Amino acid sequence: MSQGRPYLLSHLVIGAAERDPQGLAVAGPDERLDHATLAVRISKLAAALRTTGVSPGDRVVVFAPKSVDTFTAMHGALHAGAIAVPVDPRAPIPVLEALQRELAPRAIVVASTTADRWPDRSVPTIGDTPSCTLSWEDVAEHDATGPVDRLGSDPAYVISTSGSTGRPKSIVHTHTSALRYAQLAADCYELRDDDRLGNVAPFHFDQSTFELYAGPLVGAATILVPDVLLRFPANVSELLERERVTTWYSVPTILRQLRLRGALDQRDLSALRWVLFGGEVFPPAALRALMAELPHARFSNVYGPAEVNQCTYHHLDGPPSDDESIPIGRAWHDTELRVVTPDGAVLGGVGRGELQIRTSTAMVGYWGRPDLNEKAFVDEAVDGALTRRWYRSGDVVERAADGLLTFVGRVDRQVKIRGTRVELEGVEAALNAVDGVTASAAVCVDDPDAPLVAIVQTSTITDPDVVQRAIRATLPPGAVPDRIVIVESLPITTSGKVDTVRAAQLLEMGTST
Amino acid sequence: MRTERLNGLADELSDMICNEITFGEPVEPETDLLLTGLVDSIGVVRIVTWLEDHLEIEIDPVDVVLENFQTVALMVDYVQRR
Repeated sequence: MSQGRPYLLSHLVIGAAERDPQGLAVAGPDERLDHATLAVRISKLAAALRTTGVSPGDRVVVFAPKSVDTFTAMHGALHAGAIAVPVDPRAPIPVLEALQRELAPRAIVVASTTADRWPDRSVPTIGDTPSCTLSWEDVAEHDATGPVDRLGSDPAYVISTSGSTGRPKSIVHTHTSALRYAQLAADCYELRDDDRLGNVAPFHFDQSTFELYAGPLVGAATILVPDVLLRFPANVSELLERERVTTWYSVPTILRQLRLRGALDQRDLSALRWVLFGGEVFPPAALRALMAELPHARFSNVYGPAEVNQCTYHHLDGPPSDDESIPIGRAWHDTELRVVTPDGAVLGGVGRGELQIRTSTAMVGYWGRPDLNEKAFVDEAVDGALTRRWYRSGDVVERAADGLLTFVGRVDRQVKIRGTRVELEGVEAALNAVDGVTASAAVCVDDPDAPLVAIVQTSTITDPDVVQRAIRATLPPGAVPDRIVIVESLPITTSGKVDTVRAAQLLEMGTST
Repeated sequence: MRTERLNGLADELSDMICNEITFGEPVEPETDLLLTGLVDSIGVVRIVTWLEDHLEIEIDPVDVVLENFQTVALMVDYVQRR
């Protein structure tokens, strides 16, 4: 196919296959594929999806742990002109039910561990369990065809996060917003076709767009780090050495585990040239210790809400000192930032306020949520009939005299736990729904192994595990508190609400336990 | 001392994992703790710490790998081999 420059995500693997058919495209626990073979697999899956009734614009859910098949499925959905929806394979049933209701997928790619978990059995499934509509063997018998044509401005994929009410917030990215992100990332980190990108993030987490799209854009190989392996940092470091991985991108929590338990002193990781981290704040002492173990690599802080993919970067010149917060840095290309104070004034220089972002990598909006879209964007009137659209990040940043930005907090009660976005109100709603719980406060504490704590007011429950078990059935795994503390009464504000700030202070002082 | 403590280790380990990590989900010696998602990375750390405390041994990080910790039976094998 000669479509000239790519304008759809479905052009990327095809382009890599034309330039370097035999080059390694993706390696996983199951198999390794070159670009040409991957392109054929993607195309056959797209044809199979169409026979199950998938039309352009339909949603295709990818509901499986990371593997070469799952990687293929993400691109197969795009090749069919559909909207790819990667879903956490461990998501609890209420979350899956909400996604089924709101996104009404036309097909689902499953694995043996997820095949029987999707709540609506009438949706066709592709996978290798007997209950599936089509097996991967059936898929292989389809004829490879070109990608279904779409516009760059059409939706390409949806990433869902759990909202404060428990209703998912489904971020819609277009081919253009994702492709532009891939191009900017390839430029910012000088990606090349001989790079081997270590894919750490699961596909339902937006960090994975780096490997899913920037990788094929430059013709690099993606080395999948399976989800299960992340529990064993020594296995991960062995994989990095064996595969000569050149770039790593993850949340700081995983890098801290890699340093503490990854036996790095026994591995040759000299091929690693970039360590990118983002999604949460990296404590400087922990970062400095990691940098000492990986002297060959450059380190860079990545910042950007999933709504805009990425918008700033900060390459570290050297290890940070203990009291230094790592800046999120400055805007990369094709992106404009402004810092807005609570009274709505745009800061001219040094100061603190909410970060607002204008960029070609921004989402078009949340799926089916005009209420949220209304709040997420500010349309600034400019000359004539035109407006400029800013995304309100909800993140409070501080701008220093040199223009560098540093993240200082949130305008609401959203927190990041191991890089996953968690709305504390949503956790409290789940806690309050447990029989016997009369009030609750979800708070964050400075403990890397157990950062999310729930303080629960109850007179009938004595065993915290009872609460733990109940909320595990309703909350996404990333939002389940690491520790439950039972108290007789929670502090109340003058307006009669639970005083979560005071509750957190009491917890830190150890008086509420 | 070693043999004495290893006797019944599989049962004790299964009980500990069931009580403290999987929240009541029963654990057999051959249960794949990882593919089923029963045990996360914090769970692995807790198992390692428990083994270290319980057997008064030190476990080298390089040994904390899938091959030694996928099931209770593999963990017991690993400890016996040391």
